Amino acid sequence: MSPENAPPGMPSLHDTQRWLQAVISSPGTTLEAIEDPGAATLLPPERLGELIRPSWSLEPAERVGIYHGMYLLRMEEALETDYPALRYYLGEEAFSGLVAAYVAQYPSRSYTLNRLGDHLPDFLEASDWADAGFLADLARLELAITGAFDAEQSETLTAEALQAVPPESWESARLVPVPSLRLLALRHDVLPHLKAFHQERPNPRPRRRATWIAVHRSQLAVYHLELRRPAHALLKNLVDGVSLGDALALAVTRVKASKRQEQVFTWFRQWIADGFFASVELEPAG
Amino acid sequence: MTTINRWGFQDLGLGVGLRSPHFTHILTEQPKVDFFEVLTENYLDTGGRPAYVLDQVAERYAIVMHGVSMNIGSTDPVDIDYLKKVRALAERTGALWISDHLCWTGVLGRNTHDLLPLPYTEESLTRTIEKVRIIQDFLERPLVIENPSTYLEFATSTMSESEFFLRLARGADSGILLDVNNVYVSAFNHGFDAEEYISAIPGERVCQYHMAGHTHKGTHIIDTHSDHVIDTVWDLYGFTLRHVGLRATLLEWDADIPGFEVVHDEVLKARAWRDREVANVA
Repeated sequence: MSPENAPPGMPSLHDTQRWLQAVISSPGTTLEAIEDPGAATLLPPERLGELIRPSWSLEPAERVGIYHGMYLLRMEEALETDYPALRYYLGEEAFSGLVAAYVAQYPSRSYTLNRLGDHLPDFLEASDWADAGFLADLARLELAITGAFDAEQSETLTAEALQAVPPESWESARLVPVPSLRLLALRHDVLPHLKAFHQERPNPRPRRRATWIAVHRSQLAVYHLELRRPAHALLKNLVDGVSLGDALALAVTRVKASKRQEQVFTWFRQWIADGFFASVELEPAG
Repeated sequence: MTTINRWGFQDLGLGVGLRSPHFTHILTEQPKVDFFEVLTENYLDTGGRPAYVLDQVAERYAIVMHGVSMNIGSTDPVDIDYLKKVRALAERTGALWISDHLCWTGVLGRNTHDLLPLPYTEESLTRTIEKVRIIQDFLERPLVIENPSTYLEFATSTMSESEFFLRLARGADSGILLDVNNVYVSAFNHGFDAEEYISAIPGERVCQYHMAGHTHKGTHIIDTHSDHVIDTVWDLYGFTLRHVGLRATLLEWDADIPGFEVVHDEVLKARAWRDREVANVA
């Protein structure tokens, strides 16, 4: 439909929608949003009354303001659901500021608000916020938790199924991770802050410490497990599709010789018990 | 009054929206509820507990789907990837019908996640009819469209919301989800007559009713789904039953959600109105 269908001087349907979207998603007051160049080029502010009717009780700008006021609240509600520990750490006011800055750069482009926060760790990393690296790591942990929560359900590999693998197939076998498994290599120790949120205790000061974490879902609940660096390296290789033989060969160089076999066995026993793997893939014979 | 809609969708009785705070109660207590309505977008991309609960609920109860992102009034094209997921969810749950809103939610690929009002013009009517037809062809079923609560009106509109709604339903051959609270809210906000609006609704297209609480701000009303249904809206529900007939009735409660029994008891209030209507007809 062409703009000619709009009344003289009024935006077309498409531009009307662009205008209203620009206004309601603009930060600041409603009047500032209406006067923002992004909106004002589509509808000069002085012509607002020609597009929006007053009601018996509200002026046009006040009616637009109802939608404008609800936009950021809705975005904040969605992000605090996905990032409760981050909000707990920052406090209500700072978190609101973060949401406003974030959605201005990364507005929702999905049919679901569940995807709204996908870019928040990277946004924080690139920001000039105090403790940006720590905040980004805390956000990475929470994003992994929501990712694990929503991941597809799958079967888990049992110890019996693993033991049934013929010895001659071990070297080339590949372990397939469950869809919920997330591996994190972080520069900050963020687990105390997750715990502080859950226990409603004061947050410790951010601490720089390399941290490796596996996040996964089992029996419909999400768990996290802190890993030692060599365990993370082995698990990462397995998740990336490296064969068992190659992954173990790479791993043993990182573990003390006297403890290699026992240590790797302990890790595998825990990972299988925790349901990190869905299946084992064997090389086709011949 | 009509006793059945043109697609023969059943009067499912009295249902409530499936919400996560009630998951445990529903699975363990298996309350006697006629049907559950699920928020479509909450289940399109999750394989965790929500999906597990939904599968369990769909085993025991009738399910209808209610979406907020179909964006039927937007000048953006239809999102086919989204529709594929909607169709797959409907097949998985055996949903009896799929509904969404007379609104737009975003343009230029963005989503404000709000139910934004349309200018009620010939241009927007033609576009919306076209999109609803594409959607229905893809879903291979009628789309059931709900009247929204709105807080502003366009001076460029050339027809009333009820005329637009009626012409859309006829033009696209779509169903109607009549939200009685939304009629009340918009009537207050825009100063039209709620009973007149409902009287214009073609009963043979109505598949479902919504009831909900709202928040009165003095100068306007916001459709917050955060409280009990007020008596005036129940009276309007009675009027609707007389005009349209008995239809599946769903209670929405989405903010400050109380225990399941409180929500269920609220929708059971509709039983008295329905019984009265049946007695009047008899």
